[in-house]
Amino acid sequence: MDGWMGQRLRIDLTDGKVEIEKLSPDYLKKWVGGRGFNSELVYHETWQGMDPLDPKAPLCFACGPLSGTFAPLSGRTTITARSPMTASYLGNEIHGHGDSNMGGHFSAAMKYAGYDQIVIKGKASKPVYIWIDDDKVEIRDASRLWGLKIKEATKSILEELGDPDIRVSTIGPAGENLVRFASITNSYSSSGGRTGMGCVMGSKNLKAIAIRGSKAITFADPEGFTKQAWQLREKIHNSPSAKKRRLEGSLDLFDAGNAIGINAYKNCSTGYMPGIEEIYGGVQWAEQFLLRRKGCWSCPVSCGRYTYIKEGKWAGFNCGGPEMESLCNLGPRIASEDVAGVNVLCGVVNDLGMDSISAGAALSWTMECFEKGYLTEKDTGGIPFKWGDIETSLKVADMIARREGFGDILAEGNIRAAEKLGIGQDIVPHCRGLEHISVDPRVALGFSLGYAMSTRGSDHLKNYSCLEFAGCAMSRKEQVAEALGPELEKEFWKDFPKQMTELKTKPALCTWSERNKCVADLVGCCCQAIGSWGGAGTWNDAYAPLFRLATGVDMSDEELFKAAERVVAIERAHWNREGSARQDDTHIDRYFEEPVTGGPHKGLKIDRNEWAWAQSEYYRLHNWDKDGFITPEKAKDLGIAEITPDIEAGKKIYKEWLEKAKK
Amino acid sequence: MQQRKVIVIDPDKCTGCHSCEMACSIKHFAKCSPLLSRIQIQEFRDVNTFIPITCVACEDAPCIKVCPMGARIRLESGAVVTNEDVCLGCRACIYTCPFGAPVIDPENGKAMSCDLCNDDLLGPWCVKACTMQGALQFVDIEKCSKTVGRGFAYTLKEEYAPQAVQKEAEASFSFG
Repeated sequence: MDGWMGQRLRIDLTDGKVEIEKLSPDYLKKWVGGRGFNSELVYHETWQGMDPLDPKAPLCFACGPLSGTFAPLSGRTTITARSPMTASYLGNEIHGHGDSNMGGHFSAAMKYAGYDQIVIKGKASKPVYIWIDDDKVEIRDASRLWGLKIKEATKSILEELGDPDIRVSTIGPAGENLVRFASITNSYSSSGGRTGMGCVMGSKNLKAIAIRGSKAITFADPEGFTKQAWQLREKIHNSPSAKKRRLEGSLDLFDAGNAIGINAYKNCSTGYMPGIEEIYGGVQWAEQFLLRRKGCWSCPVSCGRYTYIKEGKWAGFNCGGPEMESLCNLGPRIASEDVAGVNVLCGVVNDLGMDSISAGAALSWTMECFEKGYLTEKDTGGIPFKWGDIETSLKVADMIARREGFGDILAEGNIRAAEKLGIGQDIVPHCRGLEHISVDPRVALGFSLGYAMSTRGSDHLKNYSCLEFAGCAMSRKEQVAEALGPELEKEFWKDFPKQMTELKTKPALCTWSERNKCVADLVGCCCQAIGSWGGAGTWNDAYAPLFRLATGVDMSDEELFKAAERVVAIERAHWNREGSARQDDTHIDRYFEEPVTGGPHKGLKIDRNEWAWAQSEYYRLHNWDKDGFITPEKAKDLGIAEITPDIEAGKKIYKEWLEKAKK
Repeated sequence: MQQRKVIVIDPDKCTGCHSCEMACSIKHFAKCSPLLSRIQIQEFRDVNTFIPITCVACEDAPCIKVCPMGARIRLESGAVVTNEDVCLGCRACIYTCPFGAPVIDPENGKAMSCDLCNDDLLGPWCVKACTMQGALQFVDIEKCSKTVGRGFAYTLKEEYAPQAVQKEAEASFSFG
């Protein structure tokens, strides 16, 4: 088989059964890879109301047909399971689809070992780790690794197995202690953070997966593939935004983000932090802290950082990262200006195995609760929380990971902590239980709609509508045209650059962007190259030809785009069958009522009527019904008619809820 | 000394992305696997340090001397490669190489090493794949020292410049 390895590895930890399943050509074509395989499997092998931590729940790792090849940027792994972090308006006990995408080197090793997907079910009776060496799969004791942080655990496993080229995905203490937003990390510091995949792994008593392979990936048209890969590499090399990304890492987004007033500050209460460029800008950061760049598999850009702090209080501290979202959510979001300290916090949170966005959200939410008087030291066991306090944050991060004292409450995630304490629900910035990233949803309305419609709870990486930002749009006008069509394109440029704060063009932009992004996830490549810095073009000129040349599958651009739509639909169906639809596709009241307090967009808030229109328009463009449920016709058109009965059951839950709400 | 070009390695710029291995593997085998690559990245990932190891085509190559079959031969480009027709796969070249650079071809068990991509128009593919990082460069052999030394000199530049000015000031003072 070309491109793919054509095998799925199934491991049951309860009885130690290992099974290798062949994937049929039809299956491969239908679901393409990565996110597609995972979302399909997790949908079909779980059911409505299932507990995400149920031993029967699957945890999937998958790579795409381009993973581990010469294709540039091909180092991404998708991890998928039902998410313990997510919730719904129906109640915090409702869970839905969750996934996380990590860089690093794990997906390449999976391919060399001969697998497109690894599915783990069951629960081991004691801590274990899985050692995969080509066809040999071994479940080994991990008692001595239990409690170790990411870096120590990885090192220890590599020493035990005696080969530094083995790739290890592991959880930290946070995953072991079932912190709801625990992450899974490979290659020491490349994390799959969001939606609590580490928590699911911890619930299976699984500390790590170590993998090594000796197989080679073959191609249907090696010559054509190589030529195409060189072309894409050259394009990236010549792209100014790729060069900027290489030099500054994703921190290059700070300057731009603050200039247009979107960077989260003080628990996302506003999108502007005065003077942030001088404090957090990518150039300054690199001058002070950059030890060396870090690259994911086959990535010529290497936007990853490695921090070394030379002087001051934290002198000598070193760690992998930070990435822009980590730095922003653990920095400006908690109103800290101490960059060195924030770097340490990023390193510590990562090493404990927690999502840095949700960890930042937990800290900043508590700080705002203190400011508003919702909480006092009495509630937190004597710990004072004030804006920008790094020392306390470091201490609390450790308490969260170990579920000690007040940390035990925060480990439940913002929305559940607020419910448990009975306060501050109005200031949890979230959709479907997952906290926002660092872009203010009142300002960048494409991102805002993306948060609400995202199939894993609030996140920008599902509807990656970067084209709404002036810089991106200016440098990629032809993509705007492709995404919007002639009429909306005119609208877009008529109001430019104010279109960012208007909803008019956003349903269409989000619809296109979510598929554009999904294609990258399917083939196993990086979305950033076709999103935030865009040096590689769009899905159809960057990844589609590579996909065809590698696999030899005769799939037109339209068919590939439709496969992306199918994958988004199956994730949406996962929510639909829980009864989650229109009511969840929205923001907390704060963003409709409280205006932005500073920066270039002071006074801005979301208009409820416009929002309702945008929701309806988004559904219309997807051929979903008026409440946001996938219609039987659409399901049939996408070749997933089997979801219809589940969705009908979900609708019933939704209608019952509506009637109750009316009363 | 023969006029030729060599690959210069600067581990400080290596990001551990393995693009060079992928380029080498696809060039020579039309497949992708790090085991098929003649350049190997040695990882010390816990301290984020990566050292690319490849055949540097020594002027006085020990592998040529040690090979019992005379299978290690020098090409016109200066590259030292294996004549697979006579190679036994005894691995003596690997043991004797100070860098451990030759790699065993997993498909036939014989030693293989960098052939500088046989005068391919693109030059060595690993170097080309590393263009953005610049950890690998392909330079004239007499420029090798200048290239390596310049990297070191660059780091000294900032520190050295002010001292130079000061020394000059002292000298002129004693003259006056």
